[in-house]
Amino acid sequence: MNPQLFQGLAPMVPARGAKPEPVLPSRRDCTVDPHPWGRSMPQPSRAPLALVVSPPRRGVTDGELALALAAGDDWAIAEAWQRFAPMVMSTAERALGSKSDAEDLAQEVFLRLFRKVQTLRDPASLRSFVYSVAVRTLKSELRYRRLKAWLTFRGPESLPDSSHTSPDLEARDLLQRLYALLDRLSPRDRLVFTLRRAESMTVEEIAATMGISVSTVKRSLAHGNARVSHWIAGEPALAELLDRGLERRRE
Amino acid sequence: MTASERSEPRLAHLSEVWRASVKPPHPAELERGLAGLRLRLSAGAARPRFVRRMLPLAAAVVVALTLAPLLVSRFFPGSRTPAPVEVAHVAGGKILEAGYLAEVGGKGMELSFNEGSRFSLTPGTRGRLRTVSAEGVRLALDRGAASLRITPNHERHWWVEAGPFVVSVTGTDFTVKWDPASEELAVKLRQGRVAVSGPIVGDELVLRPGQNLTVNLTKRETVISEEGADQPSVAAPAEPAASAPAAPATGAATPAAASAAGAPSAASGVRRWREALASGQWDRILADVERDGVEASLRTLSSDELFALADAARYRRRTDLARSALLAQRERFPNSSRAPDAVFLLGRVEELRAEGKPRALQRYDEYLARAPNGTYAAEALGRRMILVKELEGPESARRIAVEYLRRFPQGSYAEAAHTLERAH
Repeated sequence: MNPQLFQGLAPMVPARGAKPEPVLPSRRDCTVDPHPWGRSMPQPSRAPLALVVSPPRRGVTDGELALALAAGDDWAIAEAWQRFAPMVMSTAERALGSKSDAEDLAQEVFLRLFRKVQTLRDPASLRSFVYSVAVRTLKSELRYRRLKAWLTFRGPESLPDSSHTSPDLEARDLLQRLYALLDRLSPRDRLVFTLRRAESMTVEEIAATMGISVSTVKRSLAHGNARVSHWIAGEPALAELLDRGLERRRE
Repeated sequence: MTASERSEPRLAHLSEVWRASVKPPHPAELERGLAGLRLRLSAGAARPRFVRRMLPLAAAVVVALTLAPLLVSRFFPGSRTPAPVEVAHVAGGKILEAGYLAEVGGKGMELSFNEGSRFSLTPGTRGRLRTVSAEGVRLALDRGAASLRITPNHERHWWVEAGPFVVSVTGTDFTVKWDPASEELAVKLRQGRVAVSGPIVGDELVLRPGQNLTVNLTKRETVISEEGADQPSVAAPAEPAASAPAAPATGAATPAAASAAGAPSAASGVRRWREALASGQWDRILADVERDGVEASLRTLSSDELFALADAARYRRRTDLARSALLAQRERFPNSSRAPDAVFLLGRVEELRAEGKPRALQRYDEYLARAPNGTYAAEALGRRMILVKELEGPESARRIAVEYLRRFPQGSYAEAAHTLERAH
């Protein structure tokens, strides 16, 4: 887990039920500033938004980037994507099991980010904010899939893309079975399980990112662990694959 | 060791594989994603995707709730769990332990099932019901003849095992007879469709209504005859009438010769070969090719004709000729829809050749790579499992057995796969 990911997270996450106060002006309320890092805040105005194409600006801090995003600067869109999309796509791919779905979801995350960035209190905590938006979007996606599966009388279909999974047949088989098990978990349990197991996040980090209490995360995690373990035990072929992998690792 | 002590290392290992499965996106993927994002921004994706997607879904819910009973029965037949099949009535005998059918009175047995299917066993027939479940019924015929009238239902499969043969059925009316003394199987199909697999016939040999199949293991002979054998057109799959003028009266010209003589004759040539195939006159096809020259025929025959030739050669155990026809098919028509089928059949032919098993294995691998869900996928994976076991040992084959059982739990190699899995 990248330790920088949750830098400044606490002040960003509002208390449950509390509506965060917008501290940055809306994108559409800002003039386009080609050099936003020279100012502390964009100047509000009612001029229409115009996109200015400029090359990506590396070396810009997250805080400056947040301000530029709130101002609707075109360069900031590309910069934010280049900076945070790998993180979002990797997490989404692990959660959904599909690279193409992850790419699609990442775009949705950034669309939401651009809509909500002006609600960010601490511009320096942009990375955590992006991650939080990503997790919420993932949760919506998982809920949508479950609802769709229910409405169409079909099971959710999380099949890992063969293109991005391990070339090792055994690992691929393991992943296919894993996603089949994850499809049986509730969206919240699945997300908590994913963040803990695949993203190595602490319980506190998960709670802060998902906007739920630590005890809820612990309950959800215990539930997810117990159910997945039970299902693994009920699938001798999967249990054997895992035991064989463990044996090889010990050797 | 407690359950949680046992499960935690497994979960940890699973998590490790999971984490390692995802690589950071490639720069090109990032560029593509950014372009897509810009497109969506310029298109003004104002409403959240969840809302956008829920609107049509909500509309669908309203429609579905209105028409729920009709929709469920018509469009989601698979969502209903099929009712289990049960033996409703037995006449002329009884069912013993393990499904053995014991005839009483020497007048044959009648079995009726709750969903309408019926088995009639002729006097002296011995067999047993191996499985009776929601998926269907498997009847093992040890000796004698059974007429089966199966109620069509795509959710169920019925099988008759007769000696080394398996007759696969969906909905049909047919008689199957097995004589272990002469090692002869006879299948007479009145209605529907059945597929027979086993020695000599090899992979699934599909029969059409009115066809009779006889396979004699001792003579290594397979004969398919028609009801009213002098009327081959009854069984011939129809070519488009407009493009297929009547066959020449002589009926002797081969498709190759016909192709050379003029295009219109080609279709009728194919039709005659299909008729010959359907009526078990494979020698006629082989004689046609030999008269015109094998090499020339392989160069000029159409894709359909090459398949017909390959079938005829396989049924007559002319493996070299079958192999040549399939290789020609593969080389000359690499992009045809049936090209993967040729690869699979090549595998079957390679298996029959001395030292051909490693090459057969390559063919099955190629087929599974090209058509992972193709017509022969179950068969190819099953044969692959058997060959890997023979060539590399049971340990190597075990993984394939696991995959086979996962994909085809009711497949014809499921028993062999279970044996491999259990042996570990």
